[in-house]
Amino acid sequence: MTTTVAKLVDTSLCIGCKACELACQEWNDQEFTLGTFDGTYQTLPDLEHNFWNLIKFNEFERDGQMSWLMAKYQCMHCADPGCLRACPAPGAIIQRPNGIVDFVHDNCIGCGYCITGCPFDVPRLSPKTKKVYKCSLCSDRTSVGMAPACIKTCPTNCLTFGARDELLRKADSRAEQLRGNGDQDAGVYNPEGVGGTNVIYVLRDAKNPESYGLPKDPGIPWTLSLWKGPVKWLGSMVFLGGILGAFLHFVRYGPKDHGDEHE
Amino acid sequence: MTNGWCDVANADVVLVMGGNPAENHPVGFRFVMEARRNRGAKLVCVDPRFNRTAAVSDTYVPIRAGTDIAFLGGLIHYSLSTGKYQADYVRQHTNAGFLVKEGYGFENGHFSGWDAAKKSYDKSSWQYETGPDGFVRTDPTFEHPRSVFQLMKKHYSRYTPEKVSEVCGCTPEQFTKAAEMITVAAAKDKSGTVLYALGWTQHSHAVQLIHTAAMVQLLMGNIGMPGGGVNAQRGHANIQGATDMGSWMNLPGYLKIPRASQTALDAYLKANTPKALRPDSLNYWGNTPKFMVSLLKTYYGDQATKANGFGYDWLPKLGDGENQSWGYFFDRMYAGGLQGMISFGMNPVANGPNTAKMLGALAKLDWMIVAENFETETAAFWKAKPLASEYYGEAPAPEDIKTEVFLLPASCFAEKDGAFVNSSRWLQWKEAALDPPGDAKLDQDIIAELFLRIRALYEKDGGPSPEPLMAMSWNYATPRSPLLAEVAREVNGHDLATGRRLSGFGELKDDGTTTSGNWIYSGMWPESGNLMARRVQEDPTGLGLYPQWAWSWPANRRILYNRASVDNTGKPWDPTRAPLKWNGQRWSGDTPDYKADAAPDKFGAFIMNAEGVAKLFAADLAEGPFPEHYEPWESPVPNPMHPEVSFNPVAKVFTSAADKQGTPDKFPYVGITYRLTEHFHFWTKHTAGSSQLQSNFFVEIGEDLAKEKGLKSGDKVRVSTARGKVEGPALVTRRMKGLKVNGKIVHQVGLPIHWGFLGHVSGPLINNLTPSVFDPNSGTPEYKGFLVNVEKIA
Amino acid sequence: MSMNKQISRFDLTERAIHWMSAISFVYAALTGLALWSHKLYWLASVFGGGPTVRGMHPWGGVLFAVSLGFMFRRWARVMQLDSDDKVWMKNSHLYAMHRDQELPETGRFNAGQKMMFWMQSAFAVLLFASGLVLWFPEIAPRSARLLAVLVHPLAAIGSIGGIILHIYMGTAVVPGALRAMTRGTVSQGWAASHHPKWFRELSKH
Repeated sequence: MTTTVAKLVDTSLCIGCKACELACQEWNDQEFTLGTFDGTYQTLPDLEHNFWNLIKFNEFERDGQMSWLMAKYQCMHCADPGCLRACPAPGAIIQRPNGIVDFVHDNCIGCGYCITGCPFDVPRLSPKTKKVYKCSLCSDRTSVGMAPACIKTCPTNCLTFGARDELLRKADSRAEQLRGNGDQDAGVYNPEGVGGTNVIYVLRDAKNPESYGLPKDPGIPWTLSLWKGPVKWLGSMVFLGGILGAFLHFVRYGPKDHGDEHE
Repeated sequence: MTNGWCDVANADVVLVMGGNPAENHPVGFRFVMEARRNRGAKLVCVDPRFNRTAAVSDTYVPIRAGTDIAFLGGLIHYSLSTGKYQADYVRQHTNAGFLVKEGYGFENGHFSGWDAAKKSYDKSSWQYETGPDGFVRTDPTFEHPRSVFQLMKKHYSRYTPEKVSEVCGCTPEQFTKAAEMITVAAAKDKSGTVLYALGWTQHSHAVQLIHTAAMVQLLMGNIGMPGGGVNAQRGHANIQGATDMGSWMNLPGYLKIPRASQTALDAYLKANTPKALRPDSLNYWGNTPKFMVSLLKTYYGDQATKANGFGYDWLPKLGDGENQSWGYFFDRMYAGGLQGMISFGMNPVANGPNTAKMLGALAKLDWMIVAENFETETAAFWKAKPLASEYYGEAPAPEDIKTEVFLLPASCFAEKDGAFVNSSRWLQWKEAALDPPGDAKLDQDIIAELFLRIRALYEKDGGPSPEPLMAMSWNYATPRSPLLAEVAREVNGHDLATGRRLSGFGELKDDGTTTSGNWIYSGMWPESGNLMARRVQEDPTGLGLYPQWAWSWPANRRILYNRASVDNTGKPWDPTRAPLKWNGQRWSGDTPDYKADAAPDKFGAFIMNAEGVAKLFAADLAEGPFPEHYEPWESPVPNPMHPEVSFNPVAKVFTSAADKQGTPDKFPYVGITYRLTEHFHFWTKHTAGSSQLQSNFFVEIGEDLAKEKGLKSGDKVRVSTARGKVEGPALVTRRMKGLKVNGKIVHQVGLPIHWGFLGHVSGPLINNLTPSVFDPNSGTPEYKGFLVNVEKIA
Repeated sequence: MSMNKQISRFDLTERAIHWMSAISFVYAALTGLALWSHKLYWLASVFGGGPTVRGMHPWGGVLFAVSLGFMFRRWARVMQLDSDDKVWMKNSHLYAMHRDQELPETGRFNAGQKMMFWMQSAFAVLLFASGLVLWFPEIAPRSARLLAVLVHPLAAIGSIGGIILHIYMGTAVVPGALRAMTRGTVSQGWAASHHPKWFRELSKH
């Protein structure tokens, strides 16, 4: 059995240096563009089709205590990926045995349903290639036993890569350490709504993942579940039932008399 | 750094002040994070801005730029008044018990010996009291009113938490909370480190500031300890090497520059070789003649003989009291006093203070040679006005500039081999990764070519004082292209009788039989090979010293002053953190900062000081034996400590037409410049990757001030000083707040430095704003804390 | 008057509109079905591969919407339901059992046809609106997209279901109806039998 791999982001150790951003750009051969100034330290306001790993900077103040939270944002590699559920093109989105959710661009038809299906708003459509892009957890590196580029470059060990179970344990113990150190609300972000993620966060304030730019209770959208479940059955029923019904009707009643006896 | 990056992981408390390692030393910062993760270390961040280091700190204290001495003085007061200092350490390893001469004093901002006419100090009253044996008198009980301890206690009694608050703008509670965290390190089994960078060195009182930090660390018993020390984070891969090699105003190895009055070698050595002040002082600088003679033998080879003072005459000499560090010579250049300049690896138009003055100065040269990877603002200074007249309208127009500029394409670091000396004092040998592109040449080839051709011209045509050029030894296999390995071996030095390379500076002699181009580097390339190229990851002490990783100066010592980690019986203060062990015969562990086989009670622990112990009281610096808070040159308030002597009385202020001073009525806010993690100085605006990460210059403004000015993020603002202006979008943040200083709210304005008029991305040169005011000891300009005004322009 | 005489039921414009909408509908439906289920993804290959299908399906939809617009302009009035139609609808099972005589007489279109018209029009509106949202996922807000992923297939189910009935009726159940839409004419007997009221009205003129 292949071990499920994961990336651990210990936000208490993130210094927002953006080395992961650049490593991602370089390894994945992305063309450099210019950043846009949006009044923060962020490189870009949001992820782009050619920018898969973005550190979000969030300022907030509580009880006069200033916080400047930094956390990198990228594909979460969900155990139950909304993108995969939504994807109509077989083989365009695959979940590898090690848990990596990967886009296979040869099969991608650019419909963008994955963008809608993703509870984390990660995939991005390229206007040029009309295909959708996101972090692959460097599946080209991990498949040959190398750590993803962002993890390789992280200077503070905020990022670690390894077996998911092990990292979950590590995350739990780190959160416990942080709680012992005065961060009472420290915890692990591994949302159940998507069956857990293969990108796990340690947050100093796990009660407010939104303050890091992470959704509080991400899940597969109900409309998506309805669409890919009951609506699909209903469709099959209507289509097959319609054809079958017509056939049976014809067998029983035949055609109408068209009123022209002489024909 | 006294200690080194890896060693930060040994700390229990990390004080980050005058630096922002999370942003500017992110790789080294991993060791801070290790200390936090593995030891539960506390991180205290003191800075005008809530920066990325503050974001991961345990406590953050906002302070007004330029008030660090007040904060640290407050720590000294806190430590002494609460008894939170390591008393045994202070007794054994510092000059706290030394007696100071009668007549020393401090009053109303001036120390004794102030000469108002000369604007300088007569330091004679700052000296120790000596006994009939010629040695300093001491009082081990510290009770004598003229003991350093009592004088220090008295001097810092004024630095109460309330006074700190009044000066720095933090609340007394914020100060006290930080002080409690920091002074945890006073316990023998606790260590605290101090990490600083240009936030400390770029003040008109910078060296005294670092002296204050050293005092705090001595009181905490942190010097020489793993996880301790006073640690300068260097801002370039090899700036430590440049400093060590004397590329400012020293000779290599921190040997003093000869002065005009020192007409012969003997006079020089007499003036610069200290005498032991205590009977147990090893006084290692007593070996200065060995270092100096070996250096001269390296420079002049066979031409250096005992008879000609080993060629001492050929060394250039400065007038007594004359300063030729770069701030000074740019002032002379501006006045038309310089003919030409060769600029290597520096971009003074971008990183020098007062851009208008820099541009004006270069225009007065007849010629300038710039060797660079890119066309820098210095090489293209004549384009400043046409490219950005909104900022450099006062600069001379190209048609009025007569300076002949030669831009030589040079190689970058990855195209050369050689060694980098990092903050940890490690000399790390590297290989060239690729060839220089196009016509670019290696730096050493450019220098060799210049040297050989100029010497040939002198040989052919003659000229004034050709001797230094003619006598210079140049023994490289290919004279036009010296190998850096050859230069390194030359710097290491050898025994002239046997030709054997030296294994360390202990072998240096003052009779002309040894060479060494830099005594502190001696031993890096002994007969056994290039130790700088070592990459062994063994750590026998378990303290992260990695003695076989590269080579650390001096003598591969990883922790400076490590002898102070044990007491005078040889017992470590903290047995779990002992870099040195004394077995009765010899020291083991790190290379001892001591005689390797001398008993612990034989000598004082600080062998580089004539005192044999560390100096809390130090007469060496220009401003006084104890650091005192002085305001920046441009300050929003009079000095709350002593308004009549507000500014450092001996700081260097220039008075050219370009050196205009702003006043708080016209420029009410405090400007600070700094680096961002996304960029490296003025280089990476030339590269696409870094330019993407931070494409835009911006002005960081606190919410309160923004509200006052009706600003929101993205609005274009103009920031101006008495000297110039810059423009860019405002970044409005809650991370910067107005500080209550001396009863008045003072707002600070953040100004990142990385842009210029050339590159992949462009913006204003931030030093268009800054003043050319310099620390009198180091010659570093005051970039942290100057007066600005802010206006909304769109 | 011979009952074999051909009379015009749909003029050329009507037929053109119908077949334009029919072809675009079938194209949109089949390419839509290719994206509906992985089991039907083979249809994508038939229509030129996934990216082509993704690119062209919306245009098929646009064409369908346009032709339906024409159709609407042409027939909206004649498709108005009257009181007879309500009675017809209530007893539509009799029509399925070919007991047409027991139903009120029908005009040019019977109530079933009218309902088909209105339903298809409604579904078309839904398909077009939700399709537009799905066409541009990077512009449309996520909440709209989440609604659209449900509305689009539901409307398609209704629409395709209706069309299955429509095709069955038009080809197998009512002989002569296909000819009406291909050649445009029906026999008088056909008209008198299936749409007596319409036939009478025609005869008056």
